[in-house]
Amino acid sequence: MQGSVTPQSVLGPQADDERQRIRREFESGVSARQTVLSLCALADQKTQQVFEDALQTHTLSSSGLCLVALGGYGRRLLFPYSDLDILFLFGTEKAEQTFRPLISDFSRTLWDMGFRVSSAGRTIEECKRIEEDNIEFHLALLDRRFLAGDTELFNRLDTRILPTSEKAARPFLLAQLHKLTKDRLNRYGNTIFHLEPNVKDAPGGLRDYQAAAWLRQISENKQSLNITTAEEDLASGAVDFLSAIRCFLHYANGRNDNTLTYELQAAAADRSLGVSDGEARNAAEWMRLYFRHARTLNRLLLRYLEQKALVPQTFRQRIFNVARGPKTEPANGRPFGVRDGMFEVLNQPALSDRSQIFSMLTEAARAGIPLSRQAERCIAYIMQHPELTVSNAEVSWSSLREMLGADYPGFALRPMQRLGLLTEILPEFSRIDSLVVRDFYHRYTVDEHSLRTIEHLQELADPPDERAEHFQPLWRTVDRRDLLIFALLLHDVGKGMPVENHVAGSLEALASAAERLKLSEEEVAEVHFLIERHLDMSATMQRRDIFDPATVSGFAATVGNQERLQRLCLLTYADIHAVNPEALTPWKADMLWQLFVATSNHFSRTLDRDRVHAPDETSLLEQVRSVLDGGTTEEIERFLEGLPRRYLAVHSANDIAQHITMYRKLKADPVQIELRPSGRAFSLTLMTADRPSLFATIAGVLAGWGMNIIKADAFANAAGTVVDTFHFADLHRTLELNPTEIDRFRRSLVDVVNGKAPLQPLLQGRDKASRERPPKVAIETKFGFDDNSSEHSTLLEIVATDRPGLLYDIGSTLARLWCNIEVALIDTEGQKVIDVFYLTEQGKKLGAEKQAALFEALRAKLG
Amino acid sequence: MMKLEAIIQPSRFESVKDALREAGIEGMTVTEVRGHGRQKGHTEVYRGREYTVDLLPKIKLEMVLPDKLVNTVVDTILKTAKTGKIGDGKIFLSRVDEAIRIRNEERGENAL
Repeated sequence: MQGSVTPQSVLGPQADDERQRIRREFESGVSARQTVLSLCALADQKTQQVFEDALQTHTLSSSGLCLVALGGYGRRLLFPYSDLDILFLFGTEKAEQTFRPLISDFSRTLWDMGFRVSSAGRTIEECKRIEEDNIEFHLALLDRRFLAGDTELFNRLDTRILPTSEKAARPFLLAQLHKLTKDRLNRYGNTIFHLEPNVKDAPGGLRDYQAAAWLRQISENKQSLNITTAEEDLASGAVDFLSAIRCFLHYANGRNDNTLTYELQAAAADRSLGVSDGEARNAAEWMRLYFRHARTLNRLLLRYLEQKALVPQTFRQRIFNVARGPKTEPANGRPFGVRDGMFEVLNQPALSDRSQIFSMLTEAARAGIPLSRQAERCIAYIMQHPELTVSNAEVSWSSLREMLGADYPGFALRPMQRLGLLTEILPEFSRIDSLVVRDFYHRYTVDEHSLRTIEHLQELADPPDERAEHFQPLWRTVDRRDLLIFALLLHDVGKGMPVENHVAGSLEALASAAERLKLSEEEVAEVHFLIERHLDMSATMQRRDIFDPATVSGFAATVGNQERLQRLCLLTYADIHAVNPEALTPWKADMLWQLFVATSNHFSRTLDRDRVHAPDETSLLEQVRSVLDGGTTEEIERFLEGLPRRYLAVHSANDIAQHITMYRKLKADPVQIELRPSGRAFSLTLMTADRPSLFATIAGVLAGWGMNIIKADAFANAAGTVVDTFHFADLHRTLELNPTEIDRFRRSLVDVVNGKAPLQPLLQGRDKASRERPPKVAIETKFGFDDNSSEHSTLLEIVATDRPGLLYDIGSTLARLWCNIEVALIDTEGQKVIDVFYLTEQGKKLGAEKQAALFEALRAKLG
Repeated sequence: MMKLEAIIQPSRFESVKDALREAGIEGMTVTEVRGHGRQKGHTEVYRGREYTVDLLPKIKLEMVLPDKLVNTVVDTILKTAKTGKIGDGKIFLSRVDEAIRIRNEERGENAL
């Protein structure tokens, strides 16, 4: 206890000078690794000096007390404004009492010198117990380092006490660390792609690296992950890069603030922070480097997290688990299978056939099962070794659309993005790779935003909150989901292109992608519409009065038809939702829903208001002529004249040309039929002259053959030619398994419609079968009459439980009561049928008596 | 000082905001709200299910103004938020005793 105590008036300025020197060195190019080491050495030196001085002042020896550096300070990673985590370790409770005044002076002195001391005090006895509500303390203890005082006391702690308690508590520590880490990642939306990331705590931040190191340290099997030297080097480079940013942020902010704001991104890019190639980069390019490094650290952590957290097991459980082994579903000859709820690769060499990779990804999208990290690493290996022979590298649009149209496309697209497969198929997407676009609303990079839109849609299968509930049925029943997902992938690609308006850029990207992938003209038109109009619905609901019929009518005119409306609504829902977690407020979700409902009702209630006046449709006439085999404009006009405008909205120029070809043959053969397979269903177009009960008769034949009508519409032109389209499911796979039955089916349909064969024998066989199958879900049957929406017709809306033959029952009831179907729209949503009929009686709306009679007749028939 | 609360149609919000900015008003608090006055809601039927829209979406603006600006702001809102239909909203004014800027503890109109 000899020697003089250095006054604080000297120590303080010394520490300040030293800090300034370290800062100048950092700013002149010294590495962050060296900077944090220097700051740590300074803290060590001053801490030890102040401790020695305090002992001298209080005339005490250090026996029974030692100072232990913990956490980042223990690891010798002390950032400019980080806390000094120090444990005061006492030999006994009595020592704790003795040293209390000294500790108080010691801490105050260090604070006055500019060190932010964050301290804890424990006796060595207390350190034997695991504090279950203070897991952070035990994690910090993993990085313990002797600082000053009683070395023997530290050695007891370090080599005897803690190894024993940590070993006993290993499963608990692992489970808690898993939980803490997952909670932290969740807090940041489980993505590295934040526009203003926190370089310490956000996914991909330095905390990820540390959490991985702790998981490795606690885990029993340290070699199990096979982290290669190259991977270690990559992680080490990422830590250096992020450490440089963290030092820079601390100095720039003058406090422990780790948020990489827009302003500081620009400043960091200006000085090429963390980059040694000397190349000048703008802020967006420099941020791409950041995201690359963040991705490395995040992937490393996820590999550790994927290992199951240990939970205490009895001896019996261990024996049982060894005998049972991991659960693996049979592979059925495929090089992949499902193991513990994730896709695993069972035969890596087989993946050189690229179609196998896509087959696994499509399965993942279909089943909503993720790929394991092992599976991703197997794919990455194939992709990173160009010397391996790859077969079937080209992906066709038909296989891509199968993946995009599945229930969980995000389960395929997310790993594809991580592996670079997405940009291989869709190079246009690389324009927005890790792209930061600065605004006050978006929280994520553009690629992350785009993928999140898709993930928000797939979440609708099981709505996570009240905002989503309305939109669930739209997602479940949306037509051409693949086109919606494709549009979402491309809708913001223009933001990464040198164009004034990003929508124009995205459309340019669509043109190149569509040509390469060979999308049909109709498909391109649909995606084009969605991209071009992707902001329209949001703008309409926020800037127009959505309760004004003129707004709804104008918006409906822009959209064109129900199918597009449904896709655009889902796109808008997803696009707003993916801006940031708070962007889609219940208020906005409600506004969007109101606009959707109003527009949808506008479509179904105004069908016969707008009829085609063919000579006005010059552009359409041109298009149809260009694809029609011969014929005159007059012929096209004759066919189109008087059809409801919806006919044009749901049929392309090619469809119309096909219909005109059928129209020409009507003279020779008065019932024309076109039957096409459409996915797992069939599409039937029937054209003939209008006649009573026609719609009911067609529905009856389909029911008689056991076909379940999913969707239908019926239109008539001014000359009384009817174009009815039915989409039906072949419930018993009659046509699929017996191709020869297709001809018999067509003949049967033509004969019944022509009156050459009776309908009843067909139906009798089916009645019994349909009665035997009770519906899975009972839906209350509702009938609604509306005399206001149409000038010429009474609208009848029927909602009922779906069953084979239902449409026939409705149609025949309408025919029996002499109701003429002007237009019909038939739709199903799961087990629910929603039918809208525009009805007239002798060319006029239905009177009140007729409506009452019809109501009774339908209620008797449908229940 | 006066506190101004205005309930307006969401569709008029952008125009009101722009006009207020032109009039030199920068600060305001904006809240998405639902409610109704004389403009009652209505019922929409979609696919057989009734949706009652009894609380209509509105935007609520709040700002505290020095006395000399109150008339200008009220006029600006009236001019830009008015469509002439039921549901255009309302403006409420109330007196404010004190305003304090938390950062530097300035008080009164200087804190606005």
